[in-house]
Amino acid sequence: MAQIPSSSHRPRLAAVVTAYKKYFHPQHVVDRFLDGYGWNGTYHHPPMDVVSLYVDQREGEGDLTQERADRHPEMKICSTIADALTLGTSKLAVDGVVVVGEHGTYPYTEHGIMKHPHFEFFEQITKVFRSSGRSVPYFNDKELSWNWDWCKQMVATSRELNFPLQGGSSLAVTWRVPSVEFPLGAVAREAVSVGYGGMGSYDFHGLETIQCMVERRKGGETGVEWLQCYRGDAFWNAWQQGVWSKELVKSALCRSSTLAPGGATFTSTFPTPDQLRTLVPDPVAYNYQHRDGLRCTMLLMNGLVRDFTIAATIEGHARPFSTQMYLPMPDGRTTLASFFTPLVHNAEIMFLTGKAQYPIERTLLTSGMLIAGVDSGYNGGQRVETPNLAEVHYQPNPESTFWRS
Amino acid sequence: MLTRRRFVGYSALASAMLASRPLLASGLGQESSGQHPLRLAILGSVYSLGSSLQDFADRFLVGYPWEGDWHMPPVQVVSLYVDQRARRAEGAPTGYQLAMKGTHLAPAGPGPTGGRPAHPVPQHHEEIEIPGDLSEARAHQFGFRIARNIPDALRCGGNRIAIDAVLSVVEQDDYPSNDRGQILLPTYDFFEQCAQVFEEEKHAVPFFSYGALSFSLPEAKTMVATAQRLNLPLQAGSAFPFTWRLPDIDVPLDAPVEEAVIVGPGSLDGEAFDALEALQAMMERRRGGETGVKAVQLLEGDDVWAAGHAGRWSKELLSSALSRSDTPLGLTVLDGRTQDLAAPGVLPQLVKNPLACSIEYSDGSRGTLLLLDGAIEDFNIALRIAGHDGPLATQFFLPPAPNQDWSAALAAQIEALYTTHRAPWPVERTLLTTGLLEACFDSRHQLNRRLETPQLAISYKPPSEPQYARS
Repeated sequence: MAQIPSSSHRPRLAAVVTAYKKYFHPQHVVDRFLDGYGWNGTYHHPPMDVVSLYVDQREGEGDLTQERADRHPEMKICSTIADALTLGTSKLAVDGVVVVGEHGTYPYTEHGIMKHPHFEFFEQITKVFRSSGRSVPYFNDKELSWNWDWCKQMVATSRELNFPLQGGSSLAVTWRVPSVEFPLGAVAREAVSVGYGGMGSYDFHGLETIQCMVERRKGGETGVEWLQCYRGDAFWNAWQQGVWSKELVKSALCRSSTLAPGGATFTSTFPTPDQLRTLVPDPVAYNYQHRDGLRCTMLLMNGLVRDFTIAATIEGHARPFSTQMYLPMPDGRTTLASFFTPLVHNAEIMFLTGKAQYPIERTLLTSGMLIAGVDSGYNGGQRVETPNLAEVHYQPNPESTFWRS
Repeated sequence: MLTRRRFVGYSALASAMLASRPLLASGLGQESSGQHPLRLAILGSVYSLGSSLQDFADRFLVGYPWEGDWHMPPVQVVSLYVDQRARRAEGAPTGYQLAMKGTHLAPAGPGPTGGRPAHPVPQHHEEIEIPGDLSEARAHQFGFRIARNIPDALRCGGNRIAIDAVLSVVEQDDYPSNDRGQILLPTYDFFEQCAQVFEEEKHAVPFFSYGALSFSLPEAKTMVATAQRLNLPLQAGSAFPFTWRLPDIDVPLDAPVEEAVIVGPGSLDGEAFDALEALQAMMERRRGGETGVKAVQLLEGDDVWAAGHAGRWSKELLSSALSRSDTPLGLTVLDGRTQDLAAPGVLPQLVKNPLACSIEYSDGSRGTLLLLDGAIEDFNIALRIAGHDGPLATQFFLPPAPNQDWSAALAAQIEALYTTHRAPWPVERTLLTTGLLEACFDSRHQLNRRLETPQLAISYKPPSEPQYARS
């Protein structure tokens, strides 16, 4: 990761989040700025201060807002986003914005995506940027928006107002087991990720798992032409017919640490085809085509795994490239969701350097693929042409930004 | 007084029920075609779901994930000896009977190599109808012989050795403890019974014993000497040195390591051995290689913190090791927050019964194992290297149950022992860790006295290449 310039000035950050409760994304992200985290063999305190906090939903049990503010009196609880950014003045008074739009309770779209308020937050924040004639680096956890036009508009506005916008999934930056990077400039034929969770949420993580790797292929990212969702019998028929490579699925699964055993008295087996169908009652696949010919498939296999793995065919490699994006997950496996650590660390570098550490176009593309995937699923698995995503092309950061030190 | 030898089963002659079954083709299972697979005899204490024997034996029956593929070892399991079955069959005393005779039962302790089985074994039973015992189901599914005793496991019903390798997984079932609190695991007895057969037939095969060589260093030394005499590749140890690391780093070979601190949860008869092996696998790479240990002290309670204040273990290294943990307890459990566990006052609040194994190496370097139950639930190490900018720190990644893929990393090493007839790492490492653990028990027994350890003047060179999982 990039060297952090030393400076006596501590950037001041505004945090704008949905809800601040235990194990919600806002808690994971903002706590790391407030209380620090383990990094590179020491306990690291970010050289910056969260000076204001806007929490959109404080109702219900378990709200941690006041507890955090009490322990961190430098952080003011604000009732509006504008106030969090201006700190009672009329102008932008912070050096960076941390936005976490995940969690909370919001309505769903007709197709089943929760309408997280990333865009609404963005609008209010950039309104202050505009009225102040000044913009600051902007961290946006996870996807851009559930609405494609808004996704596109967010990226366009960040260009217009010339501020770094960085976000995406922690999957792209967490530990890898093994600790390997997709070779820059390699010719990729096909890639498959296997993960878990639901459509409209964890599909984003699976898509980012693939995209943070394949964007490094020869020529960089060229855009996505179409996408098709497979579920139920259509999924198993596609599996049988080889719509995606069974060999790559096997390679990915062999990187999983959470493969459900195939028999009641076993603890670690590779599932037979029959066991797979029993273990995974509701499988999901997003199969999609990049403009340069690369074919990718994102699989959600609830019941089979509880982690995210990837495998890819690379020209000139005798065996598939494969790894696990390791998520220390506080569902009994750990107590800390440490995959937020490299996400926050990359945000810190952006706040200190004023430069995004990875292209926002990655997140634009994956946000759009999520929307297309859910649409295709909603329409019975019809292929969705994606001219909007065919226009998203970009070059990766040649430097690796995943956690490895 | 009952001795452990009463439990071991030289006389486990009961039960003629265990005839060899024809090999069965299994969807899951052992490959029986192709090249001649190595014939493996498996010896163990208890074959129940969650036991170490089940974990490792299954690796050789159904394969394991390795280097991005599902690897089927070129191994055919041909026989299985389960001590629990044999002891029950011969009417060995139950835990209740032992208790009535005043022999205190070993406390349970969950170590990957040390402690209690994942599922308690019922004390009352009918002959060898043992609830949860998987031996017969596995024998049926994979077509191997359940042996009446250890020599029978090696000879598979014939007169001559009929196997090419031995896997021994001895773990706590209901073996008794001695007055120092050590569980009397019969690893030595298992090995000696094999060695006797090898000696009789002038033919020895590679032997792997999971965990410490023995609870007794003299016995462990005898095992190593016997192996050398019989030209028998012997290896023992824990999986911790071989599992993934977060981050993927090792001590540079020949680096001037001054001190190391490894921290995790557990007890002396549980995880301590695994942690000592992890520590030693990194320390042995220091400049000059391993030259042995001159003194050991086990500290408990407030003496652990006092030793930290006095600089007997490095607070900086503990802080560094803790920064690698994903499992801080206390306030993190309460509301998810990140915490600097090394901040003043935090650890003494969380940890009621801390343990420190303080190790003084002959070359002046130091190592400390801190068992801090209540602080964290994973194992992390930090080392100070002269001239190195800041500590070198990493987590020994233990993928969760049920898969426990750290055991696959060790299975690959065991397989290498069998196929190459060469020990992948010096058996002296495990000889030293075996002795270190015994010295900790001794120190505790002698009121936590610092003990000079001339018996641990064990020298060896480390393997030149890192051996942990990384590809």
